[in-house]
Amino acid sequence: MAHVPLSPIGRPRDAFLDEASFARQREALGTKYELLDERRTEVANGWGQKYVERVHQKGKRTARERIEALKDEGSPLREVGTFVNHGERFGKLTSPAAGVVTAFCRVADRWTMVIANDNTVASGSWWPRTPEKIQRAQEMALRLRIPVVYLVDCSGLFLPEQSRSFPGRTGAGHIFAKNAELSAEGVPQIAGVFGDCIAGGGYMPIISDRVVMTEQAYMVIAGAALIKGAKSMSLSSLDIGGPEVHVHQSGCADVRVPDDDAAIATIRAEVEKLGSSATDFYRHGQDAADPFFPAFELDGLFPSDHRMTYEAEEVIARLVDRSLFWEILPDRGTEMIVGVGRIAGLYVGFVANRQGLIDDPDGRDGQRPAGILYRDGIAKVSAFSRACNDDGIPIVWMQDISGFDIGVEAERNGLLGYGSSLIYTNTTNTVPMFTVLLRKASGAGYYAMAGLPYEPVVQVSTPLTRQSVMEGRTLAIAAFNTKLDDDFEIVTEDPDERAAIEAGMAETEARIEGDMDPYKAASQMDTDEIVRLGELRGWLETFAEAAYQASGTRRVKNPRIWSLHDLAALAEVRG
Amino acid sequence: MFRRLLVANRGEVAVRIARAARAVGVAPVGVVSTADAGAPWTEEFDDVVCVGGPAPSESYLRMGALVQAAVQTGCSAVHPGWGFLAENARFAALCEQHGLTFVGPHSSTMDRMGLKWPSKVAMRAAGLDLTPGSDGLLASVEEAVEIAERIGYPVILKADAGGGGRGMRICRSEADVREAYPAARAEAISAFGNGALFLEKYVTGGRHIEVQVLGDHYGGAVHLFERECSIQRNHQKLIEESPSPALSNEERTALGERAARAAASIGYVGAGTIEFLADPDTMRLSFMEMNTRLQVEHPVTELVTGVDIVREQLRIAARAAIGFSQSGVALEGHAIECRINAEDPSDGFRPTPGTLTAFDVPTDRGPGRIRIDTHVSEGSEIPPYYDSLLAKVIAHAASRDEAIETMVRALEGAKIEGVATTIPLHLAVLASDAFQSGDYDTRSIPGWPA
Repeated sequence: MAHVPLSPIGRPRDAFLDEASFARQREALGTKYELLDERRTEVANGWGQKYVERVHQKGKRTARERIEALKDEGSPLREVGTFVNHGERFGKLTSPAAGVVTAFCRVADRWTMVIANDNTVASGSWWPRTPEKIQRAQEMALRLRIPVVYLVDCSGLFLPEQSRSFPGRTGAGHIFAKNAELSAEGVPQIAGVFGDCIAGGGYMPIISDRVVMTEQAYMVIAGAALIKGAKSMSLSSLDIGGPEVHVHQSGCADVRVPDDDAAIATIRAEVEKLGSSATDFYRHGQDAADPFFPAFELDGLFPSDHRMTYEAEEVIARLVDRSLFWEILPDRGTEMIVGVGRIAGLYVGFVANRQGLIDDPDGRDGQRPAGILYRDGIAKVSAFSRACNDDGIPIVWMQDISGFDIGVEAERNGLLGYGSSLIYTNTTNTVPMFTVLLRKASGAGYYAMAGLPYEPVVQVSTPLTRQSVMEGRTLAIAAFNTKLDDDFEIVTEDPDERAAIEAGMAETEARIEGDMDPYKAASQMDTDEIVRLGELRGWLETFAEAAYQASGTRRVKNPRIWSLHDLAALAEVRG
Repeated sequence: MFRRLLVANRGEVAVRIARAARAVGVAPVGVVSTADAGAPWTEEFDDVVCVGGPAPSESYLRMGALVQAAVQTGCSAVHPGWGFLAENARFAALCEQHGLTFVGPHSSTMDRMGLKWPSKVAMRAAGLDLTPGSDGLLASVEEAVEIAERIGYPVILKADAGGGGRGMRICRSEADVREAYPAARAEAISAFGNGALFLEKYVTGGRHIEVQVLGDHYGGAVHLFERECSIQRNHQKLIEESPSPALSNEERTALGERAARAAASIGYVGAGTIEFLADPDTMRLSFMEMNTRLQVEHPVTELVTGVDIVREQLRIAARAAIGFSQSGVALEGHAIECRINAEDPSDGFRPTPGTLTAFDVPTDRGPGRIRIDTHVSEGSEIPPYYDSLLAKVIAHAASRDEAIETMVRALEGAKIEGVATTIPLHLAVLASDAFQSGDYDTRSIPGWPA
């Protein structure tokens, strides 16, 4: 069987969810989306209109205006790391988006990673976590082998906080190490230099294959302010490191252009010279097609209470082209769904947690809850992940998981071992993996399903996401274990002590609840982005297209020689 | 050419396709529901697979079961006929995914022609006129009002996504537009997640004229002239003819050429029909929609051009180039088709399922010749679950008058008993002055009281 035997998946929404529940859930999520939109706008405004005007007065564009001009008209911009440093203050100052915009950006029909210093936030200087955010974007581009475009306008480190962004392993200098690594791997880098590029800002563009400078731009190891005698000679930084020097004398830049618009046009022209996207080739004769069951319905499919379940198949049905999906090993480890579908015409492997109750194969209690990993499910996911890696099929991990099974049986079954095997698999995979935290991303389940510590190319959360080792209630039980009986009820008869324990447990629960806020995770870079569920399909399209864009650089086997077929063949019930 | 073909349909069209398949050396395999199992028409097939219960949703619409039937019987292609899954891009993609050639255009072409605005954009780019209206999707209610004032009322607001009349509003005044715009948007957002609207002139009446086209995998496209389909009841066509009495020879050739060019420009593969609406006042022909499948009324075209459309479909699906050039297609004579349905026209066209105790339509009364496409004969059971089409009677003669006369003689001599049929309606229409003069449109059925 060399065909990829996709089958229809999913049902019309009214067949499994009544109009009232759908509307209610959509409305509840709508409230969270309002907050998301509000915060996005806040970040996009940088330090506000005053700083936008200041940029405009210099005859320059803001970082976001440059990106808008750079990207193909009408194409989506997929910003990552929007909420880095969200809610954090440095003295009296905030650093929206950590002062740098990083985004998947379509330029001349190719996905690129654009990294643009935000010149409306402290003249594009680097805050704590700015270097990490830039490196994360570089890493995404490196793993996908998509071109990187730097729109540099950076006055160097934000010096009052230098100890937090300079010396460490991921300190500012590591950006240049990443520049070098990208170059060594043959990933094209193109830099536009638009303004002050002092110290680190000066180093960042240089390793790029093309460096375009505007007449307002300069790149210097140190600005005029630190040069002895500069004042008496009335030397400016532009005199020291402007295009006159770097294009004509030092050769540190390639092209001088009059202004921002000309620089953007030049960069677009350079991207156009690169190899065109191979995605259409890898579609194997098909075209991109929307899901048959509309993706927007995902906005109303998830119960507002994270303890309530939904049908994971219906989520997949609203993500894959024409709602066609090939579920592999459907009869084993049924707490997990693994299989292949097309996204924008391109084959993608899916791993998702089934929800609700599943049959217990050992039959002791008849049924057991899904959303938890048992032995067969872990083994299935591991085998599937290895096969996709072998076959060059990008994997999308869709988490809504409470964790591993626990207890006597779980230990006897060697879940530690099976889990470790899965961790080995995911760690050593070279195929692009993308992780979506639909709702719960708890405990070892978060790790086993390619959570951020296992370095997926991108990990996105939703406004419903809860990342934690354990839920607040569970932690409260663990913390107050000595005060509780076998059923986790408080033992003491003393009303005062009982009240104290109750208050303590409630406080623990509340604190954990706050820590699970996806914005906090995004601020700390524990997740790359927060997206709407209804937009998930669009994000997956970007991921799939970016993963298949480059040709000749990673294994992409044609379906005839997929090892997945072997796995499926051996799983067929015979006789 | 394929060795075996699954015909994913039933009744008259299944028989039509099975015969064409045999004619090109392909063995047809049929599918049936339990209600159709053992019906005489199933004898046309080498093999028949039962795919489920009587209701279409349990059998003829079960994509997975149909694909499984094709794979298990060793078929290499699937013909969807018309109705059921014929314009379902998901089914086409599913077939291709399992290595089965879908006899029809590429699934993405079906997508494009299935969506309202993209199909209009594609066809306008290909040089066809559109009904006057907005130039793309509307940005605001003000824009809607401005366009409506310019083109004149009544106008119709339509949602870009979806169908089923949702997000659609007829407006007869500015006040109507202002009231309908937000309502249609809200309805479309709620139903399809996309509130984009466009607006066009609401045309009542007019003539429905459609052009048969064929395209191949190598960019070739030809037209087989037009069909006039303005005799309709509730948008169901009753009588079709070719050529249209409303077009001159020059107009006919020009329309055909434009349609063929449009098909070529969208890379259309297979048999398709481009439907036009002729404005009742100006006779301006604007593009309505493209049907990406074989049409029920295709035999009138076959009789006047001599081209076997189903056979061409199969050849094209097997990646052969179209077997003739445009200059090789000539119009000969005139053909008329009457759809004989098991419905009682004297009782509000109530379907009349039952057993046919007699079925005979004479083909030898002249002056022209008669072709009968049917799957029934005396003793056939007409199940209540499906389309009520019993047979298509097609008359072909040297002139339109002779074709009418041939048809009248055949229908007057027909002996169909056990179920009521629409023959009385057809005879009334054929006898009317309006039909005989060729001056009729979609507003009323000539010779038949409204």
